[in-house]
Formats: sequence, C-alpha cells, structure tokens
Amino acid sequence: MRAATWTGVNEVSVETVPDPAILNDRDVILRVSRTTTCGSDLHLLGGYIPAMRVGDVLGHEFMGEVVEVGSGVRDRRVGDRVVVNSFIACGNCWYCRQELYSLCDNGNPNPGITEGLWGQSPGGCFGYSHAMGGFAGSHAEYVRVPFADVGTFVVPEEVSDDRALFASDAVSTGWMGADLAGTKPGDTVAVWGAGGVGQMAARAAMLLGAEQVYVVDRLPERLEQVRQHVGAEVIDYSTTDVMAELRERTGGRGPDVCIEAVGMEAHSTGVQNVYDQVKQQLRLQTDRPSAVREAIMACRKGGSVFVLGVFAGPVDKFPLGAAMNKGLIIRGAQVHGQRYTPRILEHMARGELTTEHLATHVMPLEDAARGYEMFKAKEDGCVRAVFLPHG
Amino acid sequence: MDLNQLIGRATGLAGGAGAALLKQLQHVRVPGAGQASATDDPERAAQRWRAVTVLRDPAEVSASLPAPLAALGDRVEVRVTPAPGDRGAELAARYRGTPTEQQVGDLRAALRESKALLEVGEVLRMEPQPHGRRAATPQGAALEGAAAAAPREGVL
Repeated sequence: MRAATWTGVNEVSVETVPDPAILNDRDVILRVSRTTTCGSDLHLLGGYIPAMRVGDVLGHEFMGEVVEVGSGVRDRRVGDRVVVNSFIACGNCWYCRQELYSLCDNGNPNPGITEGLWGQSPGGCFGYSHAMGGFAGSHAEYVRVPFADVGTFVVPEEVSDDRALFASDAVSTGWMGADLAGTKPGDTVAVWGAGGVGQMAARAAMLLGAEQVYVVDRLPERLEQVRQHVGAEVIDYSTTDVMAELRERTGGRGPDVCIEAVGMEAHSTGVQNVYDQVKQQLRLQTDRPSAVREAIMACRKGGSVFVLGVFAGPVDKFPLGAAMNKGLIIRGAQVHGQRYTPRILEHMARGELTTEHLATHVMPLEDAARGYEMFKAKEDGCVRAVFLPHG
Repeated sequence: MDLNQLIGRATGLAGGAGAALLKQLQHVRVPGAGQASATDDPERAAQRWRAVTVLRDPAEVSASLPAPLAALGDRVEVRVTPAPGDRGAELAARYRGTPTEQQVGDLRAALRESKALLEVGEVLRMEPQPHGRRAATPQGAALEGAAAAAPREGVL
C-alpha cells in the first residue's frame, strides 16, 4: 500500500510499504478514507520529539471503513463507517474505567521510554513516535486499529466524512479542554491558538454554556474562521496586549478558564520570542511555553488553566509563583477522545458543531509532502491539510 | 575495515547505547529534569519490590498467577494485596537475593505482560507492521535499541 512516512527532519515521503495485518484479537483493519495533519505532527516532523525512526508512517487523526475484523471484536462489522480516536486504549484498566483513556496502562508497548522521561507512561498513539508506542500511523491506505471496540465510533448517516473526520482528535481534544477545565454556564473562557483544536475548544466552551469566549492568535485567516464558523470573539496578539485586553473585557477579573492550544513551538512577540527560540535551538529547553505563561498570568484568581498543546520536557521561566499565589488549577492531558466522541457526533448530527471549514486543503495522499509543507508554513491560509488515500 | 563495516560497527554500538541510555534515563540529573532526592544504591534498587496495580479481584489474581510471572518460579517472591479505592489488586514481585540487571528487566516485562493478560486477555503485538525504508544509521539503531529495551526498562 501507499503511505506517508517521516524520512528526516521536516521531510515526508510517500512510498510503498507492507499492508497492515490483524495482530491481536481486538484489532480491525481500516480502509482509510480521510486522514489529516495535526499541529502536533509538526513537533515530530521538526525533530523536537527524538523518538521517530526514518520510515515511520505518520498520522493520528482519521476515519474510514472497517474491512477486516479480529476474532475478539464484538461491536464492529466489516463495512462500518467509523471515526477513530488517536490514542489507543484498552477500555479495561483503571484509567480507562475513569474515562482517562489517553492514560491507558495497556496501550503503549514501549513504557520504558516515557516512564524514564515523565515518571509514568501514558497510552499509545497512532503515528506518534516510538515513545508513544511506535504504532504505524493513518496517512496510509490501510491502518491497523487495536482495541477497536473502544477506539472506533460508527458515524451517523447524517454526518458527512468531511465533518466526522475531526471528531477523531481536534474536536475531542478541544472539548476535553473546555470540559476538564471546568467550564460552566456564564463563564468567560479564553483560548490561545486558533488552529483546529483551539477553534473547537472555543466552540465546546460555548456549547457548555460559556457566556464570553475569546480566541487569541495572530493569523488573520484563522481569526476570521473563528468569527465566521465558531462565533467567538478574537484577539490578535501581534497587535494587541492580550492581558490588558482581557482585563478590559472582563471587568478587571480575567477569564475564568484559560485554554492553551498551541504547544511546544509557540510564537510570541519581542524579547521573549527570541529568548525561547534560542534556548530551544540550543537544546537548553525542549519546549517554548509562551502561551502557557500568558494563560497563567491572564487567568482570574482561583481560575483554571488547561494545557492542550503538546509539550515534551522541561520548560523555562514557568510562572509558578503566579499559579500558586493566584490559587489556580492547572491541568493538562493528551486527548481522552473515547470519552467525548459519542456526544460530539450527536452535536455534529444536529448541526451544532461544524468542522468542514478546517479542511482548507484537501488532496490525494500522494501529495502529503506538499501538504505538510503548506501546513507548516501556514501557506495559502492552510489550517489543515486533509489527505485522501484512495483519491 | 571498509565504510560499510564501519557503519555496521557504529550501528551495532548505537543500538546498545540506545538501550543503555534508556536504562539511565530515570536517573538523569540536569536542572529541571525531576529527581531531587538521593538515588538507591544499585543493590537496594535491584532488591526492591516491583509492582503493578491490576483492576481485578485480588483473590482471582492470587488463585492463578499469569504465565509470564509464574515462569519466574521460585526465583521471585510474589505478593498480592488489595489496592485502595476499588482499584483492584497490587501485584508485586521481587527476586530472592540480588538479581542482575537482566533479571530485573525480565521481572519488569513479566509484570507488565501479566497485567495486560489479567486486564485485557492478551499482550499487544507490534510486529510486523508497515514502515518505509529504514536506512542503517547509528541514530536509527540507537532508537531501535531503546524501543526494543523499552518493555524491560522504566521505573517499574
């Protein structure tokens, strides 16, 4: 089959690779109909997560049709049109029973790597380095999906592929941030980052009853998408003092909930940006946490900060004093998609959650290298490149 | 020695280095990396109980130890105790005497596989799976060495 593989720092190649096979009883094989780039892929591509092997198949946000079913699969049939969560979870361990699926104890066959880095191992993820299990990703004609009864969801007839695709990861990640940050009716929520995840965090906050929702970014086309398709207000951080703006718009309090949806390659302005870029390039810090810093500083006293962006290691100039003295709740997670996908599909079916606008560039899988170039450079207003493995 | 042999030698060494790096990862002490306390001396570290919490009834776990743990036989002591807060059973084991690093790795892998068998019914298999061309480079070999060692390493 054809698949998009990582071939070096910022290099992607589409090549012929072996087909996947059922390896465990609870696996299915999926014929991938749509698979999309995600901002967190850029950390892998750029070599910031040093556990990628040349030849690894990329991709973790996808949907398709079940074409083969393992003997232990109960609820999926050949022909089912399903969307698949990016994290691989068994459904049986204590973490899965608490609906903390990305923390599954049995989903990552390489726990020694992440235990060494972080003290404990999270679950595994498709196409997300050997630290996260080394699973082949979804930018391919076919993909093996372990624990299929837990991580795949049949898409309702009235939801199109173009919409359902993003229930896989972007919407479920955004929804998780808004939910686990404790968004309540009447809250003010600020989201840093107007990519797919940030937009969906904002939309989820609105659906959870937030009264005011602001999205912070610098890219005009993404801010326009927020206005048009999400219905939130926007702040351009390249021209506006974000903290002053938020204070002004919230009666001096600051947002109740601050959601960071940017990750380890955040951009900022002025000296801070230069400082973080230099330290990261010299490997004196692994991540650039400028959006997290600002979220902590902007948040109201006793508020909640949720880190949705992907980080890998220690960061510098973390405002722990602000977090402690303001009594903040700080939480983060990789996506517990299985917890949210059913309700997301219901919202999609009712037309309350639309995502088609995120797919700004749809192309054959053969063009994946070009798609990633556009996505990385945000060329031509690229928010997400979506690949069609079967044309 | 020609270039290919040199690359082959470097690649082989790198694979071992990757596994060795992983072994030491949890003890890396650079500012901001985590551990603030003293570390165990190697003998005490090797003799510690190693434990996984399994979401199964403790009596059920005690009644029939999974094959990977049972295979270690009398070389290890095994302890099963109820986990607090309805979390199931704490399944712990340690070697009698002072084990080698290899034996500790065997025990980590056995405990992880036992947990998977008890909770899931099978252990995730990873090979074969699709991948593109893999050039024989020292970096790649180091990562493969680390990944191959990963089920037997970590803080368990």
